[in-house]
Amino acid sequence: MLLMFALSPFLVLGGGALLLMLAEVFSRRPSGLAIGTTIVFITSGAFSVALWLYGIEFLPVGILSPWILVDKFTLFFNVLLCLGGALASLLAGGYLVEYKLNRGEFYSILLFATFGGMMLASAGDFLTLFLGLETMSLGAYALTAFRRASPRSAEGALKYFLLGSFAAAIMLYGIALVYGATGSTDLARVGAAFSHGVVTSHPMALIGLVLIVIGLLFKVSAVPFHMWTPDAYEGAPTPATAYMAVVVKSAAFAMMLRVLLTSFGDAESMSWSAGWPPALAAIAVLTMTVANLIAGRQDSVKRMLAYSSIAHAGYLLVGVVVALRSKEQAAAGVIFYLATYTVSTIGAFGALILLGSYGKEAVSYDDLAGVGKRHPAIAMAFSLFLFSLAGVPPTAGFFGKWFIFRAAMDSGFYWLTILAFINSVIGAYYYLRVLVFMYMREPQPGAAIAVPMQSRHVKAALLLSAVFVLALGLAPTCTLDAAIAAATTFRM
Amino acid sequence: MRLRFKWGSQMQHNEIVTDKCSAAGPLQIDYAMLARLIVGLLAIAAIGYVWHDGVPVLLTASVVYAMPKSRPWCVRLGLALIAALVALFVLRMWPSVMAASNVSESASDSCLLSCLIAIPLIAAAVILVVPRSAEKAMRVVTMVTMLALFGLSARLLVPMGRGFHFNQDIVWLARFGIHYHVALDGISLWLVLLTTFTLPIAAYASFGSIHTRIKEWCFSLLLLEAALIGAFVAIDLFLFYVFWELMLIPMYIMIGVWGGSDRIRAAIKFFLYTMFGSVLMLAAILYLAYMYSKLNGTPSFDYFELQRVMLPRNVQIWLWGAFTLSFIIKVPMFPVHTWLPDAHTEAPTAGSVILAAVMLKLGTYGYLRFSMGLFPEASAEFAAVLAGMAVVGGILYGALCAWRQGDVKRLVAYSSVAHLGYVMLGLFAATPASLEGAVLQMVNHGISTGALFLLVGVIYDRRHTRQLSEFGGLAKVMPVYATLFIIATVASIGLPGTNGFIGEFMVITGTYVSHKLGYFNGIQAAGAAVGVILGALYMLTAVQKMFFGPITHAENKSLQDLNGRELLSLAPLVAMIFVMGVAPGIFIDQIRGATSRTLDVYQSRLAAHPGPRYFEGVPHLIARQADAPIAIGTPSGDGATAEKRD
Repeated sequence: MLLMFALSPFLVLGGGALLLMLAEVFSRRPSGLAIGTTIVFITSGAFSVALWLYGIEFLPVGILSPWILVDKFTLFFNVLLCLGGALASLLAGGYLVEYKLNRGEFYSILLFATFGGMMLASAGDFLTLFLGLETMSLGAYALTAFRRASPRSAEGALKYFLLGSFAAAIMLYGIALVYGATGSTDLARVGAAFSHGVVTSHPMALIGLVLIVIGLLFKVSAVPFHMWTPDAYEGAPTPATAYMAVVVKSAAFAMMLRVLLTSFGDAESMSWSAGWPPALAAIAVLTMTVANLIAGRQDSVKRMLAYSSIAHAGYLLVGVVVALRSKEQAAAGVIFYLATYTVSTIGAFGALILLGSYGKEAVSYDDLAGVGKRHPAIAMAFSLFLFSLAGVPPTAGFFGKWFIFRAAMDSGFYWLTILAFINSVIGAYYYLRVLVFMYMREPQPGAAIAVPMQSRHVKAALLLSAVFVLALGLAPTCTLDAAIAAATTFRM
Repeated sequence: MRLRFKWGSQMQHNEIVTDKCSAAGPLQIDYAMLARLIVGLLAIAAIGYVWHDGVPVLLTASVVYAMPKSRPWCVRLGLALIAALVALFVLRMWPSVMAASNVSESASDSCLLSCLIAIPLIAAAVILVVPRSAEKAMRVVTMVTMLALFGLSARLLVPMGRGFHFNQDIVWLARFGIHYHVALDGISLWLVLLTTFTLPIAAYASFGSIHTRIKEWCFSLLLLEAALIGAFVAIDLFLFYVFWELMLIPMYIMIGVWGGSDRIRAAIKFFLYTMFGSVLMLAAILYLAYMYSKLNGTPSFDYFELQRVMLPRNVQIWLWGAFTLSFIIKVPMFPVHTWLPDAHTEAPTAGSVILAAVMLKLGTYGYLRFSMGLFPEASAEFAAVLAGMAVVGGILYGALCAWRQGDVKRLVAYSSVAHLGYVMLGLFAATPASLEGAVLQMVNHGISTGALFLLVGVIYDRRHTRQLSEFGGLAKVMPVYATLFIIATVASIGLPGTNGFIGEFMVITGTYVSHKLGYFNGIQAAGAAVGVILGALYMLTAVQKMFFGPITHAENKSLQDLNGRELLSLAPLVAMIFVMGVAPGIFIDQIRGATSRTLDVYQSRLAAHPGPRYFEGVPHLIARQADAPIAIGTPSGDGATAEKRD
């Protein structure tokens, strides 16, 4: 029974997904599904919180090891992924109805993909990890293609699917090579083999490591592997975009932290001069810089937010690199950053959804002209989320950046920190551009004006996100303590 | 009961002043008024000689009596009240009176600074829930809040001495040693008062010219006031940074929404310049706090704790550089000043006033408090170079640029570059006189440039142009306006008897005797003195082109003189120009203690390591400054004794 309790977040989510599928078949009003999905997400998150409060150490979770590790890291990510999923399904509740896409599959896919994400965050073995990854990715591909009538959606989904399949294959190949070198797929045992130094010089192990890292970087859309991101994000229906930017990315970062720190995180064998950290640091800088520079040149706000999510992956990668030297602090920084990023990004996409309606979508900057005057409340909420993404105090995003940069500074990565700081200034430019259009421009005469939709679901999601953004910005202590507790999983 | 002011736009239309002088064309002296004025002043002098406290009352009565009857009575009463308040201020603050009086802070005042920060924030939140159509209510809320803040901030006027007052320390984020710690010393005192004094004036003036999006405007004003006050009193570096960033947003919105034709580019330029400097400062703050926590074991962002960290040269110059770059962008100094003319030209009048009068002071204040306080050795090493830059790039180049401007507002903006060059020169010279002069000059510049920007806004509202070539002969049609403009001009030039003189004079004499500037202090003092002449050149050229000579443009013949709102908003500034010019001791006495404390710390750090002037070796902590205010986690007593010593 206690085992069931330990697995309850997974069971609730999986069972809820199946129930909702049934409900969709038999119900006449599919609009209730959004609320149902949200409730399932919240219940799953609540079970995770209950587990956290009950205490992991009193549960027989050892039996599940290494297939599924139920530790504080997993639980924190369960809550985070469920929060992202709940907010995304609220957004979908408004968006799908408005754009006449309201089919129940969306919600089931959302739940199953999140299930995959939770598996990814909890996997302690390469096999379960790959299973989780594929479950999540397949869901994401389907969500991207959900606007069946739109060629852009199909194009984005196809690109995402093809490149994603290649990346998965490459990663699987890497896993096979690592298994060949170490004789195990258990993350901890692979880590032990690497620590003993026997395999470090073995080319097979190193090639395997490189391939795995490439697979991981593809999922977080770091720069040389980011080509699919803007198209997929632009083509997908906006709630799905928000979902991919938030939940898929958070789960991918959870996987990345777990794999890199558990298996390849030994500071002795993976010294700064040889191993993944310098390569990852270079990729982090590249990701931030390239994404920020391209984001500044976009005409579409949605595409700009897509590039901005790549840039945020760059800041997060800085945290991952730093986590090699100061495991707990930097890993806690990454986890906390993901929390702040989740609420701000969902909020920004939600505001974009709320500003448009069927046939009058808000996509480009020009669509936003004069919104500050016509719809001041939405514009103000949008500004709040953008300030948070830009990292202006006292919003959540500021503390997210603060903790990562502080960890980087404490660990002696001065140049990396300064480059990240400079990048956040470049980032401020394109976030501000949205404000410029909302508050300081008037729409061109005769141009199409975006008309806000009427949706209580989306408004509720925005309100929740805004509360979280302000709460994490003014009193981050509580969440940060939880993030630090979650990061102690990597103490060795 | 007609005892109320008319808020809102209708005022401008209703109260167009029909002054006898402007109607008559050539200037005529109103002998009756002159006689009334002389009689009134004599009476005040006579009665004030025997009965001090009666002066404000008498002044009120006599100003109402002496003002021309053509002015609306509410303007007359307003001006009279301003005169009375000024008199009260001078009487109350006169050094001999202050020394004798037993004004002291009570226990309830410990949260006074927090109130000053919180009240505008609460008012801003209130503004958010007021319906958009209730413009009048929003204006009233804003004005009442700002005036109440000004009244509250008058309670800060206790004898300052060397120490910190109104100290309040609350743990905010315990894990990182981040506190909400605010305190006030003689340097911050006048800057906070300048903020609470200027903001209501700017707000009141702006209500005459800004009629769109009142809600956002009032919200921005209140948010800006809170952020400005917070930045001047924050002792915790993290808190300082939060306020420092917070003030960018409202100013950015002010320039971008209510600005001129090219406002968006100016707003983005302003934001990015400042943000670039401030993220580097944040990196330096982080590093400094990290060094502290490594040395002490517990983290802290407290200014006086971080001041204890002794760093070798190779580290210190980078941290100092990051802080200083951020501050000189804000000041702004020569190579990074280019955002300022654009921002000023495009900003609405009130935005320019706040930007020039208060926000730029954060750069000079930050350099004095943080760059010099945290990194004395590096500040001393680079003082000579930067002083040269302040003289050549700021004072002289700024003045020459101002001279060539055809746009009056741009001219005043460049004159700010020049004037703040004096302030920075005074800080680099680091002698008692130059530091006091620099702090005084910060306030002076706020008053006189604030007045100039308001005056430029007045003519812009009437003509919708600011080109000097469009004007000429305005003194004939707008005599009151011309008079006030010339007063502000001479204050800006630094004529004795006005506020500008004292500050610049102290800075130049202080520079001349400085030992911090290598072999060039004499040349630099001379260069600064040349800058005074150049200042007269460009300001008087502008005045001559605007006000004298024949009226060349037909549109200028029928311009209205100042209306009541404009007169009321300018009067306090003009009054302060004379108060500060005639009785600078009131201000300097409060500043002196704090600057001498700053200078003592600075000198003692430099004296400890003569020769290369840097401490060399592994970083370590030195003793906490004796005058530092009490903070949580520090042994109490040293701060308390410091305050008892006062």
